[in-house]
Amino acid sequence: MQEKHYKEEKLKTELLTVSMGPQHPATHGVLRVEIKTDSEIVAEATPHLGYLHRCMEKHSENLDYRAVIPFTDRLDYLAAMNMELTYVMAVEKMLKTEIPVRAEYIRVIVSELQRIASHLLFFGTYAIDLGAFSPFLYVFQEREFILRIFEELSGARLLYNYIWIGGVWNDITDDQIKRIGTFCDTLDENLKKYHTLVGENKIFISRTADVGIINKDVAFDYGATGPILRGSGVNWDLRKNRPYGLYPKLSFNIPVGTGEKGKVGDCWDRYRVRVLEMHESIKIIKQCLAGIEAGPIMGKVPKIIKVPKGEIYMRTECARGELGYHLVSDGGKKPYRLKVKSSCFTHVSMLPAIAPGMMIADLVATIGSIDIVLGEIDR
Amino acid sequence: MHNEWVNYINATVPTANAVLVQPQGTTDAAGVTTPGCGVSWITVASEEVKAVCQALKQGEHQFTTLQAITGVDYPADGQIEMTYVLASMSKNSELLLKTRVARGDGVKLSKLPSVVSVWSAANFQERECYDMFGVVFYGHPDLRRILCPDDWVGYPLRKDYVVQETYRDMVVNPSKKMNIPEREFGAKHAHIAGATTSVENYSVPAPVKE
Repeated sequence: MQEKHYKEEKLKTELLTVSMGPQHPATHGVLRVEIKTDSEIVAEATPHLGYLHRCMEKHSENLDYRAVIPFTDRLDYLAAMNMELTYVMAVEKMLKTEIPVRAEYIRVIVSELQRIASHLLFFGTYAIDLGAFSPFLYVFQEREFILRIFEELSGARLLYNYIWIGGVWNDITDDQIKRIGTFCDTLDENLKKYHTLVGENKIFISRTADVGIINKDVAFDYGATGPILRGSGVNWDLRKNRPYGLYPKLSFNIPVGTGEKGKVGDCWDRYRVRVLEMHESIKIIKQCLAGIEAGPIMGKVPKIIKVPKGEIYMRTECARGELGYHLVSDGGKKPYRLKVKSSCFTHVSMLPAIAPGMMIADLVATIGSIDIVLGEIDR
Repeated sequence: MHNEWVNYINATVPTANAVLVQPQGTTDAAGVTTPGCGVSWITVASEEVKAVCQALKQGEHQFTTLQAITGVDYPADGQIEMTYVLASMSKNSELLLKTRVARGDGVKLSKLPSVVSVWSAANFQERECYDMFGVVFYGHPDLRRILCPDDWVGYPLRKDYVVQETYRDMVVNPSKKMNIPEREFGAKHAHIAGATTSVENYSVPAPVKE
C-alpha cells in the first residue's frame, strides 16, 4: 500500500464564497445573493439589495398627489396596474371620494388582467430558470394580447398611468369587452394545456417538488403574503378577507397549496397556486364583463388635490403579494411621507432562512418560485 | 377595537404608557377647519416597544405578522416617528403602533429596541429604517445599510437631507448644478402648484469650464 504523503487530519476545507448576481439571469433583475457553498450545497445565503434603488419614496415627497401615480408604475413594472390601484385607493380613502360603478368595474378588469399577465410571465421565466424554453414563447403570445388591450386603453404597454384618482383615465369600448371575453375563454383552455405541458412534466416535478419548502411558521414569522403564503397552505387573500372595491360582489375561490407532488409549501405548490389563480382571475373578469354598466368613469375630484391631515395604511392583494402604502399627509398638496411596503422585499428576506442546506440549482428554483421583481424591492 | 388594545397594552406592560390617537383636523390662518381623515393609531413609550410587540403577538389579540416598520421625520418637533404596522390574520385586524425618538443631528443616533426576536420580518425593515432615517435598533443581529451603499453618508429620508457631493471619487451631486439653494432638490415646487411658473429656475445651466 502506497504511503500517503499528507496527513488527513491536516487537510482543511473552507466554504467557497460565490456571488450569484447582480447580472445573473435567474435573479430576475439585479439581485445579488452572496452564497457560501460547501461544494454544491448552500451553507449560507445573504441577499444584497439596492442596485435598482431610485429613491421613489423621497421623490414622491416632492410631487403632488397625481404626479406620484407614474412613479408607482415603476415599482413593480410587471404588475403596474395593481401598484397604481393601491396608491389611488389610499388617496381616495383619505379624500372620501365616490368612485363611479363603471370605473370600479374597469379597475377590477384591468387589475385582474394584469395579475394574469404577471403570472403568465412567471410561468414563462420559471420554466426558463429550470431549463425549458418553449413555454416562455407560448405564454408570451397570451400576454401579448393583454399588453395590446392595455395599450389601447392607456397608450402604454408596461407603465400605464391609467388608474387615476377618482376613476380611470379612459373608457373601455364594447368591442374591447367582447375581445377580452373571447380571450378569457381561449386562455382558460390553453392554460390547462400549458399546465399539462410544464407542471405535470416529470423533470419539472423533480426540480420543484420537495424543493424550497416554506412551512407555515416561517411564512408567518417573515410576514410572507400572496402566493407564497397560500402556497404554504394558508387560506388568506385580501380580496376575500378584507375586501375592497367590487370584490365583495364577485364569487371566486382562493387556491391554496396542498402538497400534491411533494410537501406543502414547496416550489411546485407555489407554481400551482399561481396557475389556479389565473383561472380564478378569468372567472372574476367574466363576471365583470357581464355586469359592467354604462355610466361615467371619473368621479368628482377637485382640480388641486389637498388631502386633509391624517394617515392611512392601505393594502391590497397584488400579483406578488400584499402591497401596502403608508401615506402621511400634513394637509398640503404633496404627500408628507409615502412608504411602500413591498411584498417582494419581505419575501427576499426569507432567503437566509430557507436557503441553507439546498443545492445551488435548487436555490435558483426557489428564487424563481418566489417571483421577485427588483423594481419593487429596491424602490 | 383600539380602546381594547390600549387597555390590553397598559395592563400587560404598565410602563408602556399607551395612548390612542384619533385623526385630528387642522385650522388654517383664515380660521377654516378641515376635519382629519384616515385611521387611528396607538403611541407607546420608545423603550417599551419590544415588550409591547411581544405582548401583542403572544396575547389574545394575536398580531402574528409584522407588515412593515416605517419612519416619518418631523424636524419641527425634533423627532422621528417610527410606525410599526401589525396585522392579525386570525382576528382580521390591523394596527398602527407608533413611537417617537429624538432625531438628533445625524451624528449621534437615537436608539430603539429591535423586534427581530419577535418577528423575523423586522430584520430587513429595521435595516431599511436605519438606512433611511438613522435610527439604531439595538439587539439587531446584522444592522447594516440595505438600499444605499455601506459607505453612503447621510440618511436620505430625513427632511433636511442633502446628497453628498462625491462618492468614491465620483461626482454624484455637482455643487455647481444641484446644491444651489433654489435648485436644491425639493426646495422649490412652484411649478407643481400650477401658480407662478418660473422657467429659469429649471433650465439647465451652461456647463462650467474647470
